[in-house]
Amino acid sequence: MEKKPTPYERVVCKNTSLYHYMKINLVFDSRNKSLSAEQFKQLIITGLKDLYGEVGAAFPFDVLTFNQTELSAILRVYHSSLVKLWSAITLIGSYESVSCAFRVTQVSPFLLALSGNSREMEVF
Amino acid sequence: MSPELEQCPRSLLVCEKGNFKNEKSRHESQALKHSFNCRISLLIPECGRLPVMLEKVLSNFSSYFHVQDFPVSTFLEEKWLDAVKKGGFYALSSKTRIDEDNVVAVLPSGQLILSLDKDTYEQLGLEGRPSQYSHRKTVRHIVTVDLKSLVLGTKKYQRVLLCLKERVPLKTDFLFTAAGGAVSLLDLLSKQLYEECRPALHCRTLQDLLCPSLIPSDLKGESGSVTPTQFLEWLGAVSLSISCDNQATSFLSTYACPEPQSSVSQALLCTVTGLISPQDVCKLLTEIRRYLDEPKLTSWVSLTVHGCADSPVSWGSAEHGFHKGGENFYNFVCFQNQDYWLHMATGAKDACPP
Repeated sequence: MEKKPTPYERVVCKNTSLYHYMKINLVFDSRNKSLSAEQFKQLIITGLKDLYGEVGAAFPFDVLTFNQTELSAILRVYHSSLVKLWSAITLIGSYESVSCAFRVTQVSPFLLALSGNSREMEVF
Repeated sequence: MSPELEQCPRSLLVCEKGNFKNEKSRHESQALKHSFNCRISLLIPECGRLPVMLEKVLSNFSSYFHVQDFPVSTFLEEKWLDAVKKGGFYALSSKTRIDEDNVVAVLPSGQLILSLDKDTYEQLGLEGRPSQYSHRKTVRHIVTVDLKSLVLGTKKYQRVLLCLKERVPLKTDFLFTAAGGAVSLLDLLSKQLYEECRPALHCRTLQDLLCPSLIPSDLKGESGSVTPTQFLEWLGAVSLSISCDNQATSFLSTYACPEPQSSVSQALLCTVTGLISPQDVCKLLTEIRRYLDEPKLTSWVSLTVHGCADSPVSWGSAEHGFHKGGENFYNFVCFQNQDYWLHMATGAKDACPP
């Protein structure tokens, strides 16, 4: 007996992702400094504590990737904490007395979207 | 902190399940509606080298052409109008941002879409509509001209020509591609300075990869399988080379491959970058189905297609915008029994995928 074909099904999900993903990189004003992934995360945590205090900054976020040469990283954060994280990294202005700034390249509720950003592609 | 700041702009994820052999299956029409694709990525578990037939399809993807400072009024010339009427013609302005600049596109349906800032729109004098993603003040307008219904010499034609040639002689870099062989871009571009580009193929083999176990009948992950969100997150992690080992002591990340999972000895990840026509995507999809028809160690293959963030449309002629990101992508998971899952995702400034 031939098997019945799988019935068609469609589901629409709104704001289904628990997380937001941010592609960021750190730029230094004059000379480039070398940072490890741990120091990079600690710098962001310090910025969060400076802005929101111990309690306000007590939320988890992940450094999913870190590129030591380009000082770029992909962060994962609960969507409810995105504004806090974004504002804190915007206000970080120095690391070990050297002026620096975080540049946000892309933000998305889908990690997969970060692997195909046409704005980063040469021809687009 | 205000609770409103804890909310995020809406995003949509549409998940579909069906069978390729079903006569009413919409898999092809869904792919054809997504006009401007900038990257595709193919993940084949239990595969070390790209199968010959798939490689053939990927290397036969149509070329696309890059033209600098192309006047938009050129689309109104007779030979261009004829080409557009034949169908399968795609044009998208390049290096223009949908949230800052004027963006122009020609869809295979023959529609010329101009997404214009307020000043350009007011100078141009062609009737349009305010962008549906305007905030308090309308700062962007969308003008649509149906090139297929334009007839040379008519009043309407003269008016569009006057606006695009004399009032605001819009010029921008463009990317062109054509599918189906009806339009010869080389002939069309003979008077232009163009650069022919080939979609760039890049393959990499991943060793000892942790994969979530997928059950074709369980789209929503209700019977203990992975949810669509978890699966797409994992695909993103694989594409971006993110480690899936969840070490309890890790200070950096707590990300782990979703459960239930299994380990595959190797997997092949291929990406193709360029302006890829939906027809080429459909050819690849057909070949993937053929690949899975033969007995294989893997029970599924994934195909992800990323849309251009700065395209004025996403699916069909639905308006697309850029808020925090311009994501519009879809993913097919093809199973051995010819079942498929289709995930379509969009950001805040996008209509619901069809």
